[in-house]
Amino acid sequence: MKDQFSFYSKFFIGLLIVLAGYALTQFHQYMDGYEISILIGSVFVFSWLGFYWTNFKNFFIAIFLLAFLSIFLYQGNLSIAEENFFLKYFLSSQSAIMWMSTLYPLSLIIYWIHLFNSQAFTGKLASNLVWIATTLGTSGLLIRWYESYLISVDIGHIPISNLYEVFVLFCLITSLIYIYYEEKIETKKLGSFIMIIINIAVGFLLWYSFAKGAHEIQPLVPALQSYWMKIHVPANFIGYGSFAIAAMVSMAYLIVDKGWLTQYLPNKDVLEDMTYRVIAIGFLFFTIATILGAVWAAEAWGGYWSWDPKETWALIVWLNYAAWLHLRLIKGLRGSLLAWWSIIGLFITAFCFLGVNLFLSGLHSYGEL
Amino acid sequence: MSSMRFSITMLSFVGIASIIGTILKQNQPYESYMVKFGQFWFDIFKQLDLFNVYQAIWFLTILIFLIASTSLCVIRNSPGILKEYKKFQDQIRETSLRSFKHCYEIHLPSFNKLELIALLEKSNFKVREKINASGDILIVAKKGSFQKLGYIFTHLAIIVISLGGLLDGNLILKTQELLGYKEIQIQDIPLSQIPNKSRLNQGNFSYRANVLLSEGEKQEVAIIPSKDGYLVQELPFSVGLKNFHIEHYSTGQPKSFESDLILTSKKTGKTTEQKISVNKPYTYEGVTIYQSDFQDGGTKLNIMVTDLHSDDAPQPLKSEVFKSNAISYLDKALSLEFEDFRLFNILDIDNSQKKKSRNVGPNFTYKIRNESGQANEYQAYQMPMKLDGRYFFMSGMRETPQEDFRFLKIPADSEGSLEGFMIFKQLLLNKKKIESTIKKIILTSEPSKSKELNANNLELSALKLFDTFQKGGYNAVAFSIDKNIPSKNQEAAANAYIKIIHLVANQLLIDYQAEKPLNRLFDFKDLPLFSQDALNAYSDSFFYGTSLFLELKDFEHVQASGLQLTKSPGQFWVYLGSMMLVIGIFCMIYIQEVRLWVLKKKGRKNILLSITTNRHHLAFDKFAADIKSKINLLKT
Ligand code: HEM
Repeated sequence: MKDQFSFYSKFFIGLLIVLAGYALTQFHQYMDGYEISILIGSVFVFSWLGFYWTNFKNFFIAIFLLAFLSIFLYQGNLSIAEENFFLKYFLSSQSAIMWMSTLYPLSLIIYWIHLFNSQAFTGKLASNLVWIATTLGTSGLLIRWYESYLISVDIGHIPISNLYEVFVLFCLITSLIYIYYEEKIETKKLGSFIMIIINIAVGFLLWYSFAKGAHEIQPLVPALQSYWMKIHVPANFIGYGSFAIAAMVSMAYLIVDKGWLTQYLPNKDVLEDMTYRVIAIGFLFFTIATILGAVWAAEAWGGYWSWDPKETWALIVWLNYAAWLHLRLIKGLRGSLLAWWSIIGLFITAFCFLGVNLFLSGLHSYGEL
Repeated sequence: MSSMRFSITMLSFVGIASIIGTILKQNQPYESYMVKFGQFWFDIFKQLDLFNVYQAIWFLTILIFLIASTSLCVIRNSPGILKEYKKFQDQIRETSLRSFKHCYEIHLPSFNKLELIALLEKSNFKVREKINASGDILIVAKKGSFQKLGYIFTHLAIIVISLGGLLDGNLILKTQELLGYKEIQIQDIPLSQIPNKSRLNQGNFSYRANVLLSEGEKQEVAIIPSKDGYLVQELPFSVGLKNFHIEHYSTGQPKSFESDLILTSKKTGKTTEQKISVNKPYTYEGVTIYQSDFQDGGTKLNIMVTDLHSDDAPQPLKSEVFKSNAISYLDKALSLEFEDFRLFNILDIDNSQKKKSRNVGPNFTYKIRNESGQANEYQAYQMPMKLDGRYFFMSGMRETPQEDFRFLKIPADSEGSLEGFMIFKQLLLNKKKIESTIKKIILTSEPSKSKELNANNLELSALKLFDTFQKGGYNAVAFSIDKNIPSKNQEAAANAYIKIIHLVANQLLIDYQAEKPLNRLFDFKDLPLFSQDALNAYSDSFFYGTSLFLELKDFEHVQASGLQLTKSPGQFWVYLGSMMLVIGIFCMIYIQEVRLWVLKKKGRKNILLSITTNRHHLAFDKFAADIKSKINLLKT
């Protein structure tokens, strides 16, 4: 993981700068000052990630190669997707996302095999499947971004604007966070638990796509046309993804606590520590996301806090994890109570993410079923 | 009160109250709650302020307690923390050092103080050394002291955010209301008659108020909705709407809402023009103006009123949305109340394609109210819509707002207008024409059949049939069959009657076309299909609640823009607090506080290394081991 000052790192950062420069010169007429800042900011963020995490560099380069290949194949004409073999079966956004949706379940199965047979080969296979699925899914979103502009320039928008798109985002971000920790704590055993939650999301995604035709690209309603969306939504999903991982690790913790699978899973201290770390990461990002949401709301709705159901549930989620952190950090509490708490936390989070859209109405205007 | 338990309890209360507030939809009209919960529960809920949880006194009280508790906590803990932050613990005794989990004895005969200090400083430690009387050297080092400040930052942030929120929470208005200085206006009365008790002057430092402006209109006050009524807020300027535009995507969904405003300061009399849109508000004289919604602003409508059940000539009518017109019909006074007009309507009607919605053009909504005050609601589309490959004018009716509209489908003629159907209706109501057409059909029909049947009889019954149809459509025909024909013959009779009606109706059109060869209204490939659609429409009109059909000829669109005007002095503090919160959380979670001591007793070859932290994470074990091995390396 540590080759910070290698040639590869320098090359990667150079590449990011070139890409951003290209985007700036080609598309600056479509961007306002804030969007340009976001673009430049993202160069720093991705450089930093790549600097500390070699595989992220590979990942990033792969998604861009795939996305560019797709754009090249499209030749600016959306209907080519019907005729071109590669686009139709691999590199149209929908196909790429479907590949992602096939590979995640596969990786779940392999992780479970690996859990019991502990062979390096199965572990490596499972991780690689997650990498490939994530790469395809991310390129799928990037390609979808491009496709939205092909439909019509004024329809074009970043693909994190409806429930379908954010579900894909959830799968991708959760996988990335997981795989980072997998490398860091050097165990592939947890994949068997974490891939469960990702595959639940995949299941929902498939149902939503096939039953409701949700993958159609729709134009943005005026309230969503804001640069804030580009930071608020990803930050939120880093939070959601981390909380989901925390709940799954807590599940593993409870199982080990019961004395089951102890010879297969990491020990309790490791699980406990990882739960804490992801909740801490999630809490920081969720705080930022909620604040950005308030800033955005101030601009779109005329008030930074309207007690809209989504806002209110974000507050509830936030309070929940603040309480969790208090208990652990101040009271020094450890053990199964906190594990149960973080599992219940996932239900609260899920209600904030989905339940609010399904059951409560409010100002948040996307993602009705 | 500054205990963790107290504040966690308060936090749980906030959580539970918030959940109630999201489950019970807030700030709805009180009647709708009444209908939903019944008088008994409505009264209880109202007493508890459950319809406006977040503005309730009890909710604000909890918030104030929370602030107080957190403040006390910060006041109590901060001095200690600041002291800790500055302090190097150099009074520590050897026994304490040995009690730490990470305590190592390292054999280091060539102890070099400077080398060790340099090493520690390279690892970002702040270092201090102390030599006591007996010549023992104690090196004290620490890093990550900011972690402790994180506590102050986060908790102070929560206080700042809550205070900012309270500043915008209308606390003063609440107090004034409680003391009876101000009163929420419940009645819907003209602005000029609203008493001072329900008016707030320009000095009000925090509000969120609404203004609805038609194009060309100007206002100097705004409305603050509050519980089941409202208050009137005086503005420091007048706001006028020059123009309102909606832009649409090619698919018809709205893309942007924009208002061109004219703002005139009351103080200086200066006028400013400014465009605002969703996500692009504008701040003028301390008040921020947002585009919040839009509606009709009294569109002018040119309408043609036709009686479908008589051959009276159609009557033109001029009206506006939000206006009502009195008309008399069959000696009864009716009122036509125009309620809404929409230029764009995105519908998903074409079932041949999956999920393709498109714009079907303007519609308008009106009520027809009779003398006893009862009213049906109508919604009519100006343009014909394509259904099953044919075009129909759709006009919906419902008796109560809970129902869906039931649509009368009038077929468009081949020019896409209503004229063809109106001609058809005139022909259908023309007794003479019908009679001659029936005769003609009987004569030209197959001779063998006409011999068997009594032509006269047939003609008579056909005429009667048409009479019945004119008066009540297929339903009346069915009714008469039910009454007059034995049940075993009913089906055959019904089939025969329908055939006759279709034949005659079609013939009426053919003859009309022959008389007026220049007319292009009935150029259909399948004319019988049109005449059947027209017959259906005529027949359905008996279920339309009225025989008056309103056709929208043209209109002059007037829109109204909904603005929100806010003054929010707390916003600055909320944002400042938010920044502190993020910094604080970062410090608290991601900075690891580490303290380290190296004790070198005079004359000994060993040193004592102790490392400790206030938060024990797994990574710390690694970190400690790392430092230890680095120090170990100093041997060489
Ligand atoms: C929702 C708002 C919050 C409230 C009302 C609150 C309240 C409190 C209270 C009452 C205490 C105990 C003070 C005492 O020991 O007497 C405390 C301690 C503490 N809180 Fe919070 N807290 C909040 C949010 C947070 C957050 C977001 C964090 C960050 C993770 C945090 C971290 C801590 C820490 C570390 C302490 C212990 C300080 C120490 O003694 O080292 N609190 N908090």
